Amino acid sequence: MSPYDVDFPIQTTEDVLFGSQFNQPKELPTDFSSVDLSFLPDITQENKAQNLFEDGHEMQKELDGSTSNEDSSILTDESILAYPDATQATPEASGGCPPLTPIAPMTPVTPASESSGIVPQLQNIVSTVNLACKLDLKNIALRARNAEYNPKRFAAVIMRIREPRTTALIFSSGKMVCTGAKSEEQSRLAARKYARVVQKLGFPAKFLDFKIQNMVGSCDVMFPIRLEGLVLTHQQFSSYEPELFPGLIYRMVKPRIVLLIFVSGKVVLTGAKERSEIYEAFESIYPILKGFKKAS
Amino acid sequence: SLRDTVPRGDCETVCPNTPCFSEVAYSQSTGQKEQLSRCLQRGIRRVQDLCKVLQLPTVFEETAVSYVQRALQHPSFHLVSLEKKELLGGCCVFVTCRQHNWPLTMGTICSLLYAKQELFASVYLSLQKELELSVPALSLADLVKTHLNSFRLFQHAADIPAPFVENKEKVVARTMQIVELASETWLVTGRHPVPIVTAAAFLSWQSLQPATRLACTLARFCKLARVDLPPPAHLRLKELLEILLRMASQLAWLRVFNLDKKTVVKHIGDLLQHRIFLLKSAFCPEDEEEQQCAAAPGEASPGSAAGAVQGGGCPSAGKRRPLLPPCLVNPRKRLRTAAPSASDSAVTGEEPISDGEIEQYLRGPEEIRAFRKAQACAAAPSTLPTPCLATCCI
Repeated sequence: MSPYDVDFPIQTTEDVLFGSQFNQPKELPTDFSSVDLSFLPDITQENKAQNLFEDGHEMQKELDGSTSNEDSSILTDESILAYPDATQATPEASGGCPPLTPIAPMTPVTPASESSGIVPQLQNIVSTVNLACKLDLKNIALRARNAEYNPKRFAAVIMRIREPRTTALIFSSGKMVCTGAKSEEQSRLAARKYARVVQKLGFPAKFLDFKIQNMVGSCDVMFPIRLEGLVLTHQQFSSYEPELFPGLIYRMVKPRIVLLIFVSGKVVLTGAKERSEIYEAFESIYPILKGFKKAS
Repeated sequence: SLRDTVPRGDCETVCPNTPCFSEVAYSQSTGQKEQLSRCLQRGIRRVQDLCKVLQLPTVFEETAVSYVQRALQHPSFHLVSLEKKELLGGCCVFVTCRQHNWPLTMGTICSLLYAKQELFASVYLSLQKELELSVPALSLADLVKTHLNSFRLFQHAADIPAPFVENKEKVVARTMQIVELASETWLVTGRHPVPIVTAAAFLSWQSLQPATRLACTLARFCKLARVDLPPPAHLRLKELLEILLRMASQLAWLRVFNLDKKTVVKHIGDLLQHRIFLLKSAFCPEDEEEQQCAAAPGEASPGSAAGAVQGGGCPSAGKRRPLLPPCLVNPRKRLRTAAPSASDSAVTGEEPISDGEIEQYLRGPEEIRAFRKAQACAAAPSTLPTPCLATCCI
């Protein structure tokens, strides 16, 4: 019984989903959204599409036929509701294999080419997870190679792994912060690896309430910006203090994102919980910045 | 107080006809408000002192006091450290000055408060955010006037050579023009304002009497003027001279002279007079590539600067470079993070994790033993005989 099973009651559905494709019954996630997504592959894996669609059918039958509480809780899981395609795929509706598109697109939904043509690149993701057990930090620092612990300086173990290249802060309460990943999925994978390290050190670590807390992106508009002008016209959102910092701090209200805008045209966006907020914020600021492209 | 010590049950026997008092924490009834008013009094006093020292108009004091009151009543400032609360008064005065376009720099306020600039900066940014204050950018023109007020070269003194003394109005006027030029050529955006003013003041002073002053360095100038020389001023000076040299290359009758950083100073007056045209000829728009214009040499003879300026359609000397901020003209080589590869994008977060991969991060029993020993040695080296250090510490 894998440690992740504790919060994920349905065993049979997992076997259906993973058995045919991944062959890794041990690696079970706790929140159902990722299990949901797994049967919809990348478009490139055409040969697997047929198999997975069949698996999808079976899963659909399980969901439809089941009357247990656990199933209904899965159906009401908000992550499923966010991706209606997952539950609506029925064998009757389509003739043959329908085009399977990835549920979690890597690029923004609104095609960037319609507006700025520039897509901000994610630079850092900060996430938290609850390992739900008390940890002996001194013990962890002794027995793990990749850990550093200076209680006088900071009350947490600083652990690093090479792939995905990230850093984790592990607290004695069992709470953990994971930083440095370049995507939400990489952050999740990294957090799982840290949890496994802690497990292998003998602690009954779980993987509860994984949450992306902050996302940082950056891009370049490719023209210099008159920050003095921008702070004049957008005073209520901007803070430009060259005595303190060379960039202009723009606090966007919708979405609630903070942008650092530099004279070179480089922009940093932070404060997002979802990557769509970063894309949306950039598309909002781009026309404003273009207005300051000095025509000399 | 009696309220805190009398248990509820006894209330009825002690005061049967009056409503029972409820127990309330001291801080909620008395303590908090007392502390707040003490902080507020201190904050107001600080504002008043600063306004007096800076000789600010009375209306400034009223505004700053109202900001202090609002700030201290705001939940995010309730519990900040006393150190930070001390700075609140200064921050409120600073904000008030900026809102009235009174050119007060953070450096000045920090030195008056004996405050660390980082701490002041953090209090200021919080204040701006929490009270949603809009603070206009520092007016450079006003800063020039205020900053030059502190320069000591406008009156004769024993330690200042006579040819170094200059008319204040002339210096102020020319410094303003040079600062404007700096602003137009991207030398100001994102940079500390005071070093730009210092460099501009130096150039302006030098150019008013180059014969005697060219030999004087920026450092000596600041020393004589009894003004601080901020480190970036040297770089700003270098950048200004580069711009001036490019502009000079567009004046046909100056090209003959083969000007350099020193000699161009002699012609700053002319360059400033025709700066609009010269900037247009010397620099192409930001988005254009560097162009090499077809040669059409200016027909003017030396002396008729006006002729040269109006004559040239396309400058022949030198390539036009785009007018860009220095950080784009001389980009520092930085490690560019590669765009996510296809394999990066395919990560789902649910990949299987092999035991081997995790085990690489765990110490083996031998290693743990050795590490423990090394730790013990490091912790108390004096208590162990030296041979121990040699064996266990790798």
